[in-house]
Amino acid sequence: MNDLSVQFHGVSKRYPHFSLENIHLELPTGSIMGFIGANGAGKSTTIRILMGLVHQDAGTVQVLGHAMPANQAAAKLDIGFVSEDMRLYGQATLAWHMDFLRPIYPRWDQSYAESLARRFDLKPQQKIKGLSHGQRVKAALLLALARRPRLLVLDEPTTGLDPVARVEVLSELMAALADEERTILFSSHNTLDVEQISDQITFIDRGRIIDSDDKEAFLDRWRRLRLLLPPDVVLPRLPGVVDVGGSGRLPVLTTNRFEPAMVSVCNDLGATVQAVDTMTLEEIFVANVHSRREQLTA
Amino acid sequence: MNYSMVRSLILKDWYFQRRAILLALAGGVLSLGVVALGGQAGFTIGLILLVTIMGLISAITVMGNTLGERENQTLAFTMSLPISHLEYTTSKILGNLLIFVPFWLTLVAGCMALIVVAPAIHGLFAFTVIMAVEILVGTCLMIAVALVTESKGWAISAMVTANLAINVVGYLVAHIPGIRNGMWGTAIQWRPAATISLLVEFALIALLLGGAFFIQSRKTDFI
Repeated sequence: MNDLSVQFHGVSKRYPHFSLENIHLELPTGSIMGFIGANGAGKSTTIRILMGLVHQDAGTVQVLGHAMPANQAAAKLDIGFVSEDMRLYGQATLAWHMDFLRPIYPRWDQSYAESLARRFDLKPQQKIKGLSHGQRVKAALLLALARRPRLLVLDEPTTGLDPVARVEVLSELMAALADEERTILFSSHNTLDVEQISDQITFIDRGRIIDSDDKEAFLDRWRRLRLLLPPDVVLPRLPGVVDVGGSGRLPVLTTNRFEPAMVSVCNDLGATVQAVDTMTLEEIFVANVHSRREQLTA
Repeated sequence: MNYSMVRSLILKDWYFQRRAILLALAGGVLSLGVVALGGQAGFTIGLILLVTIMGLISAITVMGNTLGERENQTLAFTMSLPISHLEYTTSKILGNLLIFVPFWLTLVAGCMALIVVAPAIHGLFAFTVIMAVEILVGTCLMIAVALVTESKGWAISAMVTANLAINVVGYLVAHIPGIRNGMWGTAIQWRPAATISLLVEFALIALLLGGAFFIQSRKTDFI
């Protein structure tokens, strides 16, 4: 049995003003991957390729053991997809959508759909066009979850939601994670949302995957070291340091390969390590992006 | 090909176009009622009504079923279903044609009835059949262009072209010697020129629909 739900190998897609370059991505079955990138970084294009909605120019994509886009119909039978720019049929009710999907998906769970409707405070007989943005996202999520998909693909689902709706959507997603066989790919530019539910993180910037690792590994290896330098000491370039900020005698080093030994190295160089700060996922993402962009322009 | 999925997609499209379809059906019944009143005026007015309704129904369904998906951003929802591009294309072409063809067949039957009951215009038989199929060609053009381009502008251009083509094709067909001769006579005639004209029209239909399938299969971006 293939233990990877999603596998991208050397995938490229070129547009006149944007290109996705050499994407390698692996999503183990049962994991929850947060896919983080700025607007226009290539998250949606990657996800559309995953869904077979956009065909790659080069490389191979396997989703739930099916080659994409050739076998997309078989793959999509086991995928629940919600995207920020996806709309349901405005003139139809939520109940119509449920009735439409029920015969299509063999694992459709009507009682779960009804319980989700109650939990999300959605009225099945209400037309979609009468729902607020938050309610529409919840309705789309309901329709994706009630299929009992093996893979849930969420492209910026929380964008534009008010804080209450966002918490409700995220908590329902967390409840859905109780199923260990379900794999989730969650794209967002909101690192706080991603941090709450993901166990794997992938950063994408300007069409390239710039880093991918376990969430805990990210949080463990990224640190900020606040130093105090004696007047006549100049700090050499240290391995694993991706950015040197701060000023003059008070430099702040950002590292993506932190080890306790780094503190001793700094002390040996004459610096006083005043603090070793952990970083939030957002800070790690921003530092990562800046570091990669500087490498590219250097 | 997952025919069950194609059927679901067609029924979905019909559900959203149900008011237009019901109105067109009512209009169709009204037109036939006018035809049934009898007399040349009744036949003519009834058939003009039917042609108008046919034009409207094809425009409404093509715009709603095919272009509406992109405009209303429901295409991502539809394409996220377990379907291939081939099944999507098939459902759109069949869904539109199955709405249009009953009206078209009614028109053809009405015209044939008109000609059969009026010996004075028996000579128009071949010309009428060719022009009836030309209307079907125009509808296929609209469906193919809307599906392939997903652009309202191009679809409207195709509609204008299809409407203008009726006049141009009518003029050209009426000047084909094999059809022109005997066109105003009192005998029903079917000559090789009429067969060739029909074959050209059916070839055009095959080309338009086959071309739509081919281009759709070569498309790399569906959203």
